[in-house]
Amino acid sequence: MHIDLKREIKESGPGKTGLIILLLMIAVALLAPVLAPYDPYQQSTASLLSPSWSHWLGTNHVGQDVWSRLAFGARTSLLVGFGVGTLATLLGTAFGVSAALVGGLYEKVVMRMVDAFIVIPMIIVVILISAYIRPGILTLIFLLSLLSWQGGARIMRAQALSLKERGHVAAARSFGANRLYLAWRHVVPDLGPILLVEFIYGVRRAVFMEAGLAFLGISDPTVVSWGMMMRDALSFSYLDVWQWWLVPTGVALSLIIIGLTFVGHAAEPVIEPRLRGVGIA
Amino acid sequence: MFSKGNLVTYAIAFLFILALNFLLPRMMPGDPLMAIYGDEALITMTPELKAELVERFALDQPLWQQLGAYFVALFQGELGYSYYYNAPVLSVILGHLPWTLLLVGSSLLLSTILGITLGIESGWRRGSRTDRAMLAGLMSLNGFPDFFLGMLLLIAFGVTLGIFPLAGALTPYSGLSGLAWLLDVLRHLFLPLAALTLAHLAGGYLLTRNTMITVLKEPYMLTARAKGLSQRVLKYRHAGRNSMLPVVTRSGIWMGRVITGALFVELVFAYPGVGYLTYEALLARDYPIIQGVFLMVAIFVLAANFLIDLSYPKLDPRVSYAY
Repeated sequence: MHIDLKREIKESGPGKTGLIILLLMIAVALLAPVLAPYDPYQQSTASLLSPSWSHWLGTNHVGQDVWSRLAFGARTSLLVGFGVGTLATLLGTAFGVSAALVGGLYEKVVMRMVDAFIVIPMIIVVILISAYIRPGILTLIFLLSLLSWQGGARIMRAQALSLKERGHVAAARSFGANRLYLAWRHVVPDLGPILLVEFIYGVRRAVFMEAGLAFLGISDPTVVSWGMMMRDALSFSYLDVWQWWLVPTGVALSLIIIGLTFVGHAAEPVIEPRLRGVGIA
Repeated sequence: MFSKGNLVTYAIAFLFILALNFLLPRMMPGDPLMAIYGDEALITMTPELKAELVERFALDQPLWQQLGAYFVALFQGELGYSYYYNAPVLSVILGHLPWTLLLVGSSLLLSTILGITLGIESGWRRGSRTDRAMLAGLMSLNGFPDFFLGMLLLIAFGVTLGIFPLAGALTPYSGLSGLAWLLDVLRHLFLPLAALTLAHLAGGYLLTRNTMITVLKEPYMLTARAKGLSQRVLKYRHAGRNSMLPVVTRSGIWMGRVITGALFVELVFAYPGVGYLTYEALLARDYPIIQGVFLMVAIFVLAANFLIDLSYPKLDPRVSYAY
């Protein structure tokens, strides 16, 4: 693993652009209470206002300030994204690495499960389960993580299998290191860059899913979400309000996904070194 | 060539789906009949009907007997009854399926062909300005969720310019036939198709471009060039064909996702496919429909994967030696 991920991202133009976009979004999410002049849930009689100094992006159909909702919506989007990214990467690593190191029947069973889960489209499972239990934000994070770690596990297992045969791991084993120690000290650290790429794509998938589910109307209605805002805005598409209600929300969502795509793409040579030097940069 | 291992995988996936369909409504607190049949059912249900349904699903029996009854119903091809639509689930789904097949099928075809072509051209010119511009452009496009693209197209061409219809798949009560009917269908299809194709173009493109770049480094490319073959033959027959495999796999996976693939776009354009049906069922808590769609999705996915497995050796003869 002789590829410096930091350098890889820094030297790529889009990688830098992506990183800046993401940092900006994270800043908006963190500073939401400062940036938002109104309570995002506060309804008022001033509905469907055009943008003005007091309401930068106007108000929605129940008189909530769109800009405030946009800022707080970034929190939902990023929380679900990073939550699922982290949890799914952890699960993928745990199962992938343990399958590679333990082997035998355990490996067979785990990989069979992974293959079976990869086949089933995640969205329809989430919809089915959500139809019965309307998931809150934490349940949603768990649900999406449980359904999305499998792709990562496959990659981690492949990497761990090749690492397992390397000299330093064999040496450690000959000194009597047990499997847990091997996994923790010698395999997982070397997985670092790949973990990051998996994490980034995991976050992207989850951001997408969260918005999509909210757009379908099966998210927690008490939590402001960009998907929900777009869903509300769509029913007023015959008015001019889409210009400051729908478009900024959709652009914000797209920007996060584009940012993640760019960073992920810049980091991709880690998985496929043959792609080095032919990126956008 | 078809391996036994894959069959086991598909069997596990299918069993998981059945288990979810069976267990979820039965684990819900409250009346299982409501969880199985949805809100609408309880309004229309007479005590006699209720007793009959309880008996049919063995709901007063232990779980394993319920499971038996569930399988019996399933193998008789019965997906249940929707009290919301007042029709058997299967016929409701089959009524919506053609529209989804039309929309997703044509978009899959378009985005795959376009994606492969763009990917080959871009990979061939790797590192050049054209390549970098295409890469940046398509990657940005990739960031736009399909429903947002759909809404933008809807507002631009439907609401503002008024060129295309806003919703549906047909002009209602128009009584059109023949060519006029076909034109009407195409007019309604255009915007959702454009949204879906644009949203999925980048995936196939990126995959083809990546494979193209690695394929171009293969020794046989040098041999082909040394033989003095023309650029076009080199690009399409030697490099291009070998770059198609991952994209074909991807399209195959998409074929399995045909039913859910257009979910959001169908919702934006109120296009009466299975995705829109799912959405309406979600709003009405029409559980039999949701369960039926879920089962259909599973069958499509497994069938598609089976087909990919079958088509692999045809595309890449090296694969068949692997077994």
